[in-house]
Amino acid sequence: MRKLVNQTSKRNYFILVIVLIIAFSGIQFIHPEIKNSPATGDFEAPADVKAIIIRACYDCHSNQTNLRWYDKVAPIYWQVAQHVKDGRAGLNFSTWKNLAPADQKAKLWEAVNQISAGAMPVKDYVLVHSSAKVSANDLVVLKKYMADMVVNKPADTAKINALDKQYQHWQKGKVAAGKLPTALNSVTYIPDYKNWQPISTTERFDNGTMRVIFGNDVATKAIKENHINPWPNGTIFAKVAWDQLADKDGEVHTGAFKQIEYMIKDDQKYKTTKGWGFARFKTPKLVPYGTDVMFARECVSCHKPLADEDFVFTQPLKHQ
Amino acid sequence: MKRSIYMLLAGIAILSSACGHKTNSADLINKKASLPPSFQFEALGLKVMSSSINKKRGTMSTLYANELGLKNAIAGLKNHPAGEVFALVTWKQQDDDHWFGAKIPGDLSSVELVKTTAIVNHTVISYKKIEGKDLVANPDTLHQQDRIKYIFEQQPSVMP
Repeated sequence: MRKLVNQTSKRNYFILVIVLIIAFSGIQFIHPEIKNSPATGDFEAPADVKAIIIRACYDCHSNQTNLRWYDKVAPIYWQVAQHVKDGRAGLNFSTWKNLAPADQKAKLWEAVNQISAGAMPVKDYVLVHSSAKVSANDLVVLKKYMADMVVNKPADTAKINALDKQYQHWQKGKVAAGKLPTALNSVTYIPDYKNWQPISTTERFDNGTMRVIFGNDVATKAIKENHINPWPNGTIFAKVAWDQLADKDGEVHTGAFKQIEYMIKDDQKYKTTKGWGFARFKTPKLVPYGTDVMFARECVSCHKPLADEDFVFTQPLKHQ
Repeated sequence: MKRSIYMLLAGIAILSSACGHKTNSADLINKKASLPPSFQFEALGLKVMSSSINKKRGTMSTLYANELGLKNAIAGLKNHPAGEVFALVTWKQQDDDHWFGAKIPGDLSSVELVKTTAIVNHTVISYKKIEGKDLVANPDTLHQQDRIKYIFEQQPSVMP
C-alpha cells in the first residue's frame, strides 16, 4: 500500500516537472521586442565621463541596449523590456541632441543627482549587472564634469531687460483676471502663498535660478512641532523661482520670475503620486506645465530618492 | 531545517530594516539656520519682499517687510513715511545635501532691522543689527547709513 502511494506521488511530481518545463518553454515565445534603432543624436562628453554613462546608463537609457543571455530569459525578460521602455521614455542618450541645451543640462544634473542619491542605476539591475555600478570615484568624475560647466558672470542686458519688462507689468498690478490657472491634475494656482512663511531659500547654481519656498499654516505648525515625516495632510508648499541677476561684485538679486511650483499633501486624493499633488505654473502668465495628466510622473521620479523623507527636498528652518 | 528557516527569517528582518528606514522628523529641520525663539520673528508679522545672494561672501539673505513697507516699495515710494518695518536676515550658505547643484541657508549670520517712526512732526529712521545664532546686538554704528540706504534700495521680487 505504502509503495503504491509513493509511486503515485513520484509520478505526480514527474508530471508537474514536465508541465513546468513546457510552460517555461512556452513563455519564451512571449517576447516583446526591444528595438535598437540607430542613435540619431548621441550624447557627447569627455571620454572618462562618457565611459561611465555608457556603462551605468546605456542599457536602459539609450538605443544601444546590451542584453546578456540571462536578460533574455522570460519571465525576467519581461521586466527587462519594461525597464528599457520606461528608461528610454524618461531619458534617452541616443536622441540627446534633440533636446534643447537647457533641457540637456537639467536632465544631466538630475541624472547625477539620482546616481548620487543611490536611486540610479536601479538596485536589482546592478545586482545582476555588477559592471553598471557607479563607484565613489566615478561619482567624483561626474560631479566635477557638472561643476565645471557652471559659469559665474554678471547678468547680460537681455536678463536685465526681461526683469524690467516683467516688473513694470507686475508693479501696475496687471494680473490676469478671471479664472485661476489650473494644472491637468486639477491643482489650482494659489495666489495667497505671498502671505505664507518662507521655510527656506535655495541657490540653484546648476540652472542659474534662485528660489524661496513658502509653507502654509499647516506646514509651519508641523515644522514647529517637529512633525514633518510624514508631513500632515493639508500641508502646502509653494516654491517660487527667479533668474539669478548677478552684478560685477558677485551680489545676486532676483531677476525675471520663472515659475511657481506647489506640493499639496493629501495621502488619499493624491495616492497615485506618493500622497502629493504636484503643479508648476510658468512665467507671469502662470501657464500650467504638462501636456497630459501623466505629467506628475516626472515630478515623482525626480522626488523618488527622498522616499524616506516623504518625497520633500526642502529642509525647513524655524522662524519662531 | 528549523535552523535554516530561522536564518532565513533573520536575513529577511535585516534586509527589511535596512530598506524602509524613515528619517527622524527633527533631523530634517535646518536647525543652524533657524531663528532663535527669543527673537519672536513671527510676532513682527512680516512678509517676504526679496531674496539675494552674495557669492563672494558665500551668504544668502531674505528681505522681509511689513504690509506698509512692502506696499510702498512696490509703488516705488522713496520718501519712506513712518510705520515701515524691514528685516534683512542673512545666513552663511551651505551645500544642499539633497541636491548636488544647490546651496541652502547654513549658520544664521545676522538680522538687520530698519524701522521708520513718527516723532513729533518728523520721521525717524532707526537701524539695529543683531548677530550670530543667538542674535546678539552689534553696537557698531559705523555703517548704519550705508546699510539703511542698501535696504531701502532693494527692489521687491516679482511674485504674481
